[in-house]
Amino acid sequence: MNNEIILKTEKLNKIYLRGEERVWALKDIDLTIKKGEFVAILGPSGSGKTTLLNLLSGFDKPTSGKIIFLDKEISLMKEKELQKIRSKYVGFIFQNFLLFPHLTVYENITLPFYFNKRKDKKEKIYEIAEKLSLISRLKHRPSQLSGGEMQKVAIARALIIEPLILFADEPTGNLDSENAFNIFKIFETLSKEGYTVVVVTHNWELISKFNVRKINLKDGKIV
Amino acid sequence: MLILIIKNILRRKIRTFLTVLGIGVAIFLLFSLLTFNQGYKNSLIKELDLLGVHMLAVPKGCPYEAASLIVHGGIIPKYLKEEDLKTIKNIPEVEIATPIFLAQLVEDDRISIIYGIDIESYKKVKKYWKVKGRFFENNENDKIVIGSDVAFQEKLTVGDEIYFRKFNKIYQVVGILEYTGGQDDGFYFLPLKEVQRIFNKESLITAIGIKVKNLEKIEEVIKKLEEIPDLQVVTMTQVLGTILNLIGQANSLIYTIIILALFISSLGVINTMLISVLERRREIGLLKVIGANNWDIVKLIFFETLILVILGALLGIILTIGGNKFIETFIKEIITHSPKKIEINFDWKIAATIFLYSLTIAILASIYPILKAINLRPMETIRSSDE
Ligand SMILES: Nc1ncnc2c1ncn2[C@@H]1O[C@H](COP(=O)(O)OP(=O)(O)OP(=O)(O)O)[C@@H](O)[C@H]1O
Ligand SMILES: [Mg+2]
Repeated sequence: MNNEIILKTEKLNKIYLRGEERVWALKDIDLTIKKGEFVAILGPSGSGKTTLLNLLSGFDKPTSGKIIFLDKEISLMKEKELQKIRSKYVGFIFQNFLLFPHLTVYENITLPFYFNKRKDKKEKIYEIAEKLSLISRLKHRPSQLSGGEMQKVAIARALIIEPLILFADEPTGNLDSENAFNIFKIFETLSKEGYTVVVVTHNWELISKFNVRKINLKDGKIV
Repeated sequence: MLILIIKNILRRKIRTFLTVLGIGVAIFLLFSLLTFNQGYKNSLIKELDLLGVHMLAVPKGCPYEAASLIVHGGIIPKYLKEEDLKTIKNIPEVEIATPIFLAQLVEDDRISIIYGIDIESYKKVKKYWKVKGRFFENNENDKIVIGSDVAFQEKLTVGDEIYFRKFNKIYQVVGILEYTGGQDDGFYFLPLKEVQRIFNKESLITAIGIKVKNLEKIEEVIKKLEEIPDLQVVTMTQVLGTILNLIGQANSLIYTIIILALFISSLGVINTMLISVLERRREIGLLKVIGANNWDIVKLIFFETLILVILGALLGIILTIGGNKFIETFIKEIITHSPKKIEINFDWKIAATIFLYSLTIAILASIYPILKAINLRPMETIRSSDE
């Protein structure tokens, strides 16, 4: 498709301090992600997957190295600038969905609009809900939904700002295999539409069914 | 944004209700006391006005007793003599000097306040008095005039008879005072001579009400009066001062209690907001992830606090308006020498004070929770509380 580079890292290192102990969570990570790519970060527990994702999305700062997002070095940015970039270009999906239980599906999906200068476009909301087959669920509360549906609501919420890139940390960790497959199917479709999708998972079996670029981490290194 | 805040408040209905109730009650207490104080002062001034005299000559003694008891009816176990009255009448600056014999009649468990008056001069003092029926003449020793409250409570009308067992005497009600709003409504009025006779105090008087011709000369009159032995003068401003002083002492205690109540209810708001921030750490983290900046978080928490406090203030004001009667009886019970009727009016100045107070509480109560929320590291909070 498009060969435009969206995200790039150079010699990325992250060392956590746990009391006296130093945990070298990431070692010299060089990585390039292009627009529209579907990327899976794989590896055993503790290999640094979440750490990498938090650095790529600007929520954590590297100990050394560079992160370049759309030609800007975000590792040097102030939180305020980062926050602006995130609210415009970046969507997040979590393992435990993180929906607001007291709000309806519709309200949960449109939540980002409260904090975003963008206008609340009705057609866009219905288009996304339609694509994720949530139309009949818009008036329901999260507690009335299945796990798979809840994760779809979270995806809709991430998509509502029309981000360039989607980050998902173990998005299928709380789902059965059928629902997990459906969620990955959605990611695949989205990447074909031009969204860049970066997913952390350790579900090898599932990932093998999709045409994904795999990044394997072990002890903080790409292998 | 507002919808988000309101939905959040409605999420914890009972906690919200209790917090709001706490503020409401504290503000109710504060509001009531402030309004009450003003009403109390106004009523006192009005009541003293109704007395119609500029000063009272009373026997030398405790000034507190003299001042407040004369106004509200009571006895002083000391008397003035009829010569004193003559001396006072001879002072050229004195317009009216009217003798009063004040006595309490205790029968069964009831205390009736009996006012012996010289009707001719007393009528001049109480120019505004209107009477249903007529006044008695000074020599009609079996006729009585009663205040409107007495008439109402004893179910008496003009022409009825009153029997005082202690004196074994029947009086005929010739007149009933029209409602004055003052203490007079609760008194029995008899000719001076008759009261002196039944209490065995011939030619003695409790007090002399004095009206001067020219208010500027009042100091001269006081000087001359104080030359009379065993007599002291109480001016109406002194009476007012004395009584306000008494209230002041009772007030400082009440204020302390109320300030404590306000303080505790403020802690309640801080506590509610803090819990609400802590139990929502993950949600706040998520809001940051989906685009909320620190300023958005500040607004969310501050307006949530503000809504709680304003709801509390409104509840407090409603309680105040609804609970006036209750407060009136309550305070009259703890403060003696209360005016008969305390006018409690809604005062916008007080309401504004309370609004400012609420705003301050909202700001103070949200500072700590806001700092907590702002310093949350979104990804860590989201991860740390994984189910
Ligand atoms: N805030 C932190 N402070 C100290 N050490 C940390 C911190 N976060 C992560 N680590 C350590 O860094 C290493 C990588 O952690 P990370 O969470 O990135 O692994 P992961 O691949 O996401 O694991 P999992 O599959 O269990 O989620 C681990 O050894 C972890 O204990
Ligand atoms: Mg992880």
